[in-house]
Amino acid sequence: MGHQYQAVQWNKNKVVYDLYMIISLVVFIGLFMVIGLKTYPSGHTAEPVGLMIRALGSAAFSMLTIVLMIGPLARLSPRFNPFLYNRRHLGVTTFLVSFLHFVLALMWYHAAGPLNPFVSLFVSNPLYDSIPGFPFEILGLAALIVLFLMAATSHDFWLNNLSAPVWKALHMLIYPAYAILILHITLGALYTEKSIVYAVLTLGAFGLVAMLHLTAGFREWRTDSGLRHLKKKGWVEIGSPLDIPEKRAVIAPLPGGERVAVFRYDGKIAAITNVCRHQNGPLGEGRVIDSCIVCPWHGWQYSPEDGISPPPFTEKVATYNVRIENGVILIDPKANKPGARVEPAIIDPVSIDEELAS
Amino acid sequence: MSLKPGVLNPSKNDKHDMFVGWDKVPVVDRRFLFGALPLALLGTSGASYAIAKNVSDPGAGARLTTAPHSVTGVLVHAPYPMIRVADAASVYGLRSMLIIAQGKCNTGYDFSETQGHAVKADGVIVQRKNRQLLEVPPFVGDWISDSQDLPADQISTLSSPTEESLGRAQLAGTIMDTKCFFGVMRPGRGKTHKACASLCIRGGIPPSFWARTKDGRETVLLMTDAEGGPVPLDILPLVADPVTAEGEIIRVGDLLQFRADVNAYRRI
Ligand code: FES
Repeated sequence: MGHQYQAVQWNKNKVVYDLYMIISLVVFIGLFMVIGLKTYPSGHTAEPVGLMIRALGSAAFSMLTIVLMIGPLARLSPRFNPFLYNRRHLGVTTFLVSFLHFVLALMWYHAAGPLNPFVSLFVSNPLYDSIPGFPFEILGLAALIVLFLMAATSHDFWLNNLSAPVWKALHMLIYPAYAILILHITLGALYTEKSIVYAVLTLGAFGLVAMLHLTAGFREWRTDSGLRHLKKKGWVEIGSPLDIPEKRAVIAPLPGGERVAVFRYDGKIAAITNVCRHQNGPLGEGRVIDSCIVCPWHGWQYSPEDGISPPPFTEKVATYNVRIENGVILIDPKANKPGARVEPAIIDPVSIDEELAS
Repeated sequence: MSLKPGVLNPSKNDKHDMFVGWDKVPVVDRRFLFGALPLALLGTSGASYAIAKNVSDPGAGARLTTAPHSVTGVLVHAPYPMIRVADAASVYGLRSMLIIAQGKCNTGYDFSETQGHAVKADGVIVQRKNRQLLEVPPFVGDWISDSQDLPADQISTLSSPTEESLGRAQLAGTIMDTKCFFGVMRPGRGKTHKACASLCIRGGIPPSFWARTKDGRETVLLMTDAEGGPVPLDILPLVADPVTAEGEIIRVGDLLQFRADVNAYRRI
């Protein structure tokens, strides 16, 4: 299954993405250090290592917040799709920054003492039975482990080898991890530092992520509830082929709960599942480019006739039988096997001419 | 004829070219990114600025690493290893410098046999206001040697400084290791520093009690047990938390000591 895997399939957009990410990160850390060291007069200056631990922790939390904002933002507007495209590099970098935060904190606060640093991490604050006194370090470690698992399995190789549902479930762990991270901050930094700014920023980040998810979720729910009154039996009526713009698709729910993406291209109609093989991207929001359906999320391609990715790729998605009767597209709600070839329905050329004329 | 109700038409909301990762970026997305990317950078930089700007004052501590320091004085073994040096600037005429080792441990060396000896010691000075510590290598070596430079009468004043009881008091404050709090960690206090402080105290760095009076003045007292000996490790769970305890305050030379039983400490 799958094609030959490379570490990263580079292209110009990914390079620009990563460059922008690294510049932002350097600016974040650099500014943090300069301001942190300059805020108090000499004699009261913060120790740079301790400050760097804070800078890295703050950067990692900000990055994870952004990672979590991108998903719902892209659901709300396709203008955010470019942020989605290379999100995994942002995710992996978030892990790397968190890891540095962990290593420095371990060395700074736990090493060179009478205990093994890893033992110290677990026993130096023994207040496991207290809520405010709870060793916040352990919470950070738990979140770091999740970030590690996700970064380690972020590559498409793992997506294929773990199978999509397992991979998805694993990557949903990011939400509990984010919640744990907020506790890590609340019981650590917020508990120690008294400035209200920290509480406002942490709460604000959490609020933003929650609000975006709720908004995107509500939108989805509203469209879903609009779909309920569709006919439940036999072939599903979609509508006139002329209502689908050339090289685009409409999306229709099927009795079984799946969604089908019905594409119009080159005077033909073809239907495949709406769910991208990669990460469940909405194929029906994609386009037909160079006679291939292109997923709007990461640009995976499928041939409209058989749902197979063009060589060298071998991914397959399910196709649906389609015909046009009395100017109405009909879809057989029973999906074909992924990769099964289906003859596209031909749109009556006369009607296309009329469409062009008007 | 139009689309059946319930059929979604994404092209209604998005008429533009689609961004495809491996392709040229469409004009709409280019325009959007042109505005969004600088805004995002402004947002993250703003967060960075706000977080760094609001870090609380690390305190007046410092680790004076610029020059190696050589001090000559009298070696004291209990309750914690220290060197007492003559200091004309002090109202007590002397200054007690706790000896601490590099890292989070104290020197494993037993000073009881050299108690009262005049010595010359080299190390790094850790200073918070008028309090000083001498940070030395973890093992006894070249850094300490007997000194002939001190006159006998000075040795005797430094060996037995005046002890004065200032009475019993109920103090509220925080237990911290002297080393970090005096200037090594900056900030060397609070919950984020709890593990480190507890590790240092476990390693033999003398604990101190950072008490604040009601009007906000801070006093740092060297902690001992009720008999004036080193504090037992039972104190560790209470380190860095706000606590209160009743005990006796004693001045030994220039150093304030807080003598309290380890069971007298209560978390607030
Ligand atoms: S979901 Fe990633 S390309 Fe479709």
